[in-house]
Amino acid sequence: MGAVAVSRQQRWLAFLRVVVANRLAAAGLVVIVLLALAAIFGEFLAPYPPSDLDVTSRLQPPSGAHPFGTDELGRDVLSRVIVGARVSVQVAAIAVGISLVAGVLTGLVAGYYGGRVDTVLMRLMDVLFAFPAILLAIAILAVLGPGLTNAMIAIGVVFTPIFARITRASVLSVREEVYVRAARSLGASDARLIALHVLPNVLAPVIVQTSISLAFAILNEAALSFLGLGVQPPRPSWGRMLFEGRGFVRQAWWMAVFPGAAIFVTVLSFNVLGDALRDALDPRQKSAIEARGGGGPA
Amino acid sequence: MLLGVSVLVFLLVHLVPGDPIRTAMGPRYDPEVYQRLSERAGFDQPLPVQYGQWLAGAVTGDLGVSFRTGRPVMGALLERLPATLTLAFASVVVALLIALPLGVLSAVRSGSKLDYAATVFSQVGISIPDFWMGILFILVFAEYLQILPASGYASLLDDPVAWLRHLLMPAVTIGVVSGSILTRFVRSSVLESLGQDYVRTARAKGLSERVVVTRHVLRNALIPFVTVTGLQLATLLGGVIIVEFVFAWPGLGLLALQAVDARDYTVLQGAVLLIATLFLLINLVVDLLYAWLDPRIKY
Repeated sequence: MGAVAVSRQQRWLAFLRVVVANRLAAAGLVVIVLLALAAIFGEFLAPYPPSDLDVTSRLQPPSGAHPFGTDELGRDVLSRVIVGARVSVQVAAIAVGISLVAGVLTGLVAGYYGGRVDTVLMRLMDVLFAFPAILLAIAILAVLGPGLTNAMIAIGVVFTPIFARITRASVLSVREEVYVRAARSLGASDARLIALHVLPNVLAPVIVQTSISLAFAILNEAALSFLGLGVQPPRPSWGRMLFEGRGFVRQAWWMAVFPGAAIFVTVLSFNVLGDALRDALDPRQKSAIEARGGGGPA
Repeated sequence: MLLGVSVLVFLLVHLVPGDPIRTAMGPRYDPEVYQRLSERAGFDQPLPVQYGQWLAGAVTGDLGVSFRTGRPVMGALLERLPATLTLAFASVVVALLIALPLGVLSAVRSGSKLDYAATVFSQVGISIPDFWMGILFILVFAEYLQILPASGYASLLDDPVAWLRHLLMPAVTIGVVSGSILTRFVRSSVLESLGQDYVRTARAKGLSERVVVTRHVLRNALIPFVTVTGLQLATLLGGVIIVEFVFAWPGLGLLALQAVDARDYTVLQGAVLLIATLFLLINLVVDLLYAWLDPRIKY
């Protein structure tokens, strides 16, 4: 156990080193920290209450008083972008949480037991994988009805197969390792074997996938809200703001440009950080890049 | 696989809480029409029987009728299919036009400024929401410069110039996103190919770098690239749905979204089934193409 702990600590140190050395990854981390702050303290940070209507200042272009301008109801766009971070973070965290738990469990069980259990579970995952992600999410929301909670469930279901596949693939290679066989011969139960010996050793690719999935979850939530299926007004969300801004593109470009930029910068940060995480936690990937004579900037 | 997909799509209508026909008819409820639609849909039968009937119909091209308009679903789908295929195909062309030159150049000149620029481009392309990019394009090219139409569709046969003008923005929107992902794969598969022994041999026998790259590297780098392009084509279908919405492009994606909005579940069911079938077909073709390109692979 001690050896595992040390190597895990080393990996996190390696990750921190990568982040510090790589300015891009550091910038990504800063953005994500700011995002988290906006999600938690949004109302206190926003210069105006996000839902305050002011018909006297409708469709105002960016100015000192309203740096991102105002929308068709006179609401401050900057305040809505700040408070809108909460929805993105909430949906991304819960949706990816759902798929992480469901997918890793499925992958562990399928990979560990093999045989018919594996066939049934993975065929089920294949069926979910046979749809373009956003189409499946739209179909699920058509059944469940639009809304924030249902959007989380839909995105969670859509992302489950990828976690199941990644986990299963790692389990298959770990299952036959000497330490697993040794523990089994000592009489360890399946549950104990899976929890203590298999799971910790399949986590690295899962962690990398989590950061990638967070980026895609934010993108998908925004898309669903943009299509009117996610967060419902008046609650501010970036996707919904973009949808509303689209109707005013001619009169008020700022209504669509700033919420979209917020989505873009957030997703970019998660992706850049995900790359850094991959370099640090997935040594095989790292050596593959090194073998090719440098992978360029991460 | 297709069978599993069909079960899931079939259940779509049956998982809707309440009566889907009544919901779809809304305020225009008419007991006589309701009776006819409900008999036609066979809702009084047990679920497995309904599934069998629905599947038998689907195989012969009968996907039922719209609960809202009463028109056959298949007709509506076939009307929209060409627009979606046009957009998907044009987007792939744009993606390849970006990814092939950029990926090859950045691999051959690995570590150069161009390589760095290509990496930044692909990172940006992967992270940018396609619907936002579409809106930005509308803002710049339709509102400010006024050189392209903001939305809509024109038939190729009626007016080729209008067709191209309408197609350009949506195709570039999807193409940039797919192209940025493909650039990474082209780069890495060319880099891998560059490190092979046969490349060293080709160089050692005095071939010019150009010949080495075009004749030896590219041909071998093509194999994994075909798979990725195929998979991208499949995921691109997802992007098509949203971009159709942004540009009011009258394809299957827009039809599906309109069906969600109108609670027209049979149309939604048909659109989802057709898009998922296209998705699986593309994957099948990719697998076959893969085996054809690389004779070492046997199925």
